[in-house]
Amino acid sequence: MNDLMVMVDIAGRRCALYAHDVSSVIELGDVTPVPRTPDFIAGITAMRSQTMTVIDCRLALGLDTNDFPTDDRAAVVTVGNHPYALVVDRIDDITTSSSEPGTVSGGFGPEWTRITTGMTETASGPALLIDLAKLIEGPESFGQAA
Amino acid sequence: MDDLLADFVAETREMLEASEGEIIAWEADPADRARLDTIFRFVHTVKGNCGFFDFPRLAGLSHAAEDALSDVRAGRREPDTALVTAVLAVIDRIVFMVDAIEAGDEIPEGSDDDLIAALQPNDDGHESIAPTHEAASAILETGQSDDEGTSDEAAPRRAEQNSGVQRSIRLPVDLLDRVMSGVSDMVLARNDLAHRLREAGNQPTIDGPFERLTTILSDVRDAITRMRMQRIETLFGALPRLVRDLSSELGKQVMIDLEGGDVELDREMIETVRDPLTHIIRNAIDHGIEMPSDRLAMGKREIGMLSIAARQSGNKISLVVTDDGRGLDAERIGAKAVSSGLVTESDLKAMSRDEVQALIFEPGLSTADEISEISGRGVGMDVVRDNIEKIGGSIKVTSKPGEGTLFYLQIPLTLSIIAGLTVEVGDQRFAIPQSYIEEIIHIGTDSIDYTKVGDTALVTFRGLRTPCLSLADVLGLEHSVAEDDYTMVLLRLASGDLFALAVDRIHSHGDLVVKPLSPSVMDTNLYGGTTLLDDGNPILVLDLPLIAFTNGLVSDARASIRRKGEDETTSAAQDHVARAMLFTDYAGRRSAVRLELVQRIETAKADSVEISDNGKRAVIDGVILPLVGLPEDERPNGKIRFLRMSDKTCELLYAVREVDDAVELNSELKPVADDPLIEALTLIEGQTVALLDGHELFARYGEPPEETAKPTCHLPDTDWARTILGPLVSAAGYEIVSGVDASGDVAIVLDDSDMDAAATDGDLIRLRSHPDANNDDGSIYRYDRDGLVDALRRARSGGAR
Repeated sequence: MNDLMVMVDIAGRRCALYAHDVSSVIELGDVTPVPRTPDFIAGITAMRSQTMTVIDCRLALGLDTNDFPTDDRAAVVTVGNHPYALVVDRIDDITTSSSEPGTVSGGFGPEWTRITTGMTETASGPALLIDLAKLIEGPESFGQAA
Repeated sequence: MDDLLADFVAETREMLEASEGEIIAWEADPADRARLDTIFRFVHTVKGNCGFFDFPRLAGLSHAAEDALSDVRAGRREPDTALVTAVLAVIDRIVFMVDAIEAGDEIPEGSDDDLIAALQPNDDGHESIAPTHEAASAILETGQSDDEGTSDEAAPRRAEQNSGVQRSIRLPVDLLDRVMSGVSDMVLARNDLAHRLREAGNQPTIDGPFERLTTILSDVRDAITRMRMQRIETLFGALPRLVRDLSSELGKQVMIDLEGGDVELDREMIETVRDPLTHIIRNAIDHGIEMPSDRLAMGKREIGMLSIAARQSGNKISLVVTDDGRGLDAERIGAKAVSSGLVTESDLKAMSRDEVQALIFEPGLSTADEISEISGRGVGMDVVRDNIEKIGGSIKVTSKPGEGTLFYLQIPLTLSIIAGLTVEVGDQRFAIPQSYIEEIIHIGTDSIDYTKVGDTALVTFRGLRTPCLSLADVLGLEHSVAEDDYTMVLLRLASGDLFALAVDRIHSHGDLVVKPLSPSVMDTNLYGGTTLLDDGNPILVLDLPLIAFTNGLVSDARASIRRKGEDETTSAAQDHVARAMLFTDYAGRRSAVRLELVQRIETAKADSVEISDNGKRAVIDGVILPLVGLPEDERPNGKIRFLRMSDKTCELLYAVREVDDAVELNSELKPVADDPLIEALTLIEGQTVALLDGHELFARYGEPPEETAKPTCHLPDTDWARTILGPLVSAAGYEIVSGVDASGDVAIVLDDSDMDAAATDGDLIRLRSHPDANNDDGSIYRYDRDGLVDALRRARSGGAR
């Protein structure tokens, strides 16, 4: 309750990240592709000499990239001691959540259910709360689990 | 002060600082159990630590305090103010002594009986509390006044001493890591800045401070790297105990001998080496060293020796673990390897003893018949080797039956900064750790043969048929150059496996600061980390052992034997078909010389050739070599090409007009009688070619490189000679001697010097101060550089005679 949230759009959907998980928002420079990695890993990039893995959130959800253009800013989060830059449609604003994450009847669809801890009400409307660890696992592990 | 003592002092102080508050609180409430425990722990630790050192007073005091406090803890005694005061007095005394120890002083003579007595419970009950208390505080005061009495002198002395003694502090490892990664980042930021400055062009106002920043940064980096280093002693420290415990458990007697404890190693590296080393030691004691009775029966000393020595050589640390036990049983290892299907009987027969012994590093081989507590079964030497190789090291074993076993470990100094090579494939760059690289060859040259066998590519280089991986295929990229334009990077893995990696081109090499990658990227089993280029862009560091493994290039024992066999046959075939270097000499003749003789092809300016009475010589890389093959009276212009030939001790240059190709000598060789310098005539590509006779060539002209025997030149003992003449003379290939007693092969004298008889057995070069002075004495004007150099050269060829 009343946590600060960074609001982002992923594949046209409104999502929320806990503000304390997001260490910074960066302008994404050159991304070095990493051959033989799953699609959703866009590559690696360096920001202030820190190397981070760039995750394309649309692909991490198994969605098509064509439908949803992204801007060149990325949210940097740290999962398991490694920094990741999340490429999203756009990074919006910081708001406060006004409810505990909860679920809705019927679920959010399998892809979304996998990467969310539930829906939260925020000052700017309802949003899916992203489970970062699940997000960066990518769709493969989802496929295996199913 | 020795390290242990410094640790002791540091620890005592630290604990004291931590418990100071507790002591005060305890004084306020002696019944507080938690405080009591803290103080008890303090005196207990001090007591324990004193046992290591010879501090009887300190031990006595802390012991007495511990006794008193443990009575209280056990409920045998009620804490009262008297006791508290006495304990506090004891702690003060301990601090006083620790100060003395730190300052390197002797602990002052004196008795602590007063304090110890004050700790004793007073049986007289309540009445005596007050007197005891008084006594205690009196003692406390004397203690303090003692302190104060000496403090006037002691304080400055301590400060003085401290400046000599290395002060140390303890830091959390995390903090150290943060500082370290901060400095690495600073280096990267500097590189980035350097790159931008280069792009912006020369800017004197910025370049100066930037230079300074660079110097400071490299200093800081050095210091930080040293911070990271730890003496290998910390690893050795635990070993005597391990050896003692193991040997007594097994009923054996083993003595351990540790050497080179002052060798410094990366802290992380020490941790990585710990387990493999422990495993080797366990094995040595369990299987290597015999029971005392057996040893006696074999005429050995009852006590087995285990010695571990560490050495630093270059950027590697070598660790040698030897025992004088029964050695590896090659037959048992062999039998086991056959029975577990690792090698076949016939393979085994073809293997040398060392090769058989190396089988112990193969997975699934343990010679221990019984599973013992000590070495167990699960983790074998294969894991040891894997762990060592993971950090870029290597391990070898040799052993003599009945005499002992030797393990030779090589480990790199540090994990995080490695030398590496940047290669390009497609339009992407990757880094390869330098330690794997054996050789880099461009495929366009003839020394390498690239063929495709099925879908597999093979390169043949120096008679070795080596599997070849295309980096583009490995990574799923496209090569941007044609197949016959690849550059081959020959890589040797720690296991000895050799393979070639085809890349588009080579970029640069330098120190790489390797950073970890996220698990999702590591899952590809292709990359070992990432590093930043000068321009700040990250590139991936290839994990070559893993790549080789996933592509089936890492041998199990069988494959490596087969390959060895192949090597031998191909190299035998190599011997059979001799190869020669084809060239056109100055007389326009097509000639050839056996390839083994040619060291390399040199190009030099014509003026490096010098013709004297006893033949021609040329200077290549500062070495004077005999020169053959130039026509007698012709002095060539421009540049000359030489074949630099060597018979391992002597070298000579053969002047050639044109270097053609390396060819195989597969036609018949027809001996020639009339020219001793020609071994034979042969047909190459339908043309007659004269093959030079290497034997005759070296017999006539071979000379050891001049460099090894530098002539000496005696210079006058003046500033001018030292600072102005000296460099010129040494550049001309002389070693400089001076002084009255010394004597040189050549001597230079000045006309203004009073030394008439110069100290030389050889040539004398006179220098005069005026350019236009009388030239009759054969002197050279002292700033006539050409004349001087020429004279020196003449003298040298004379001296070489």
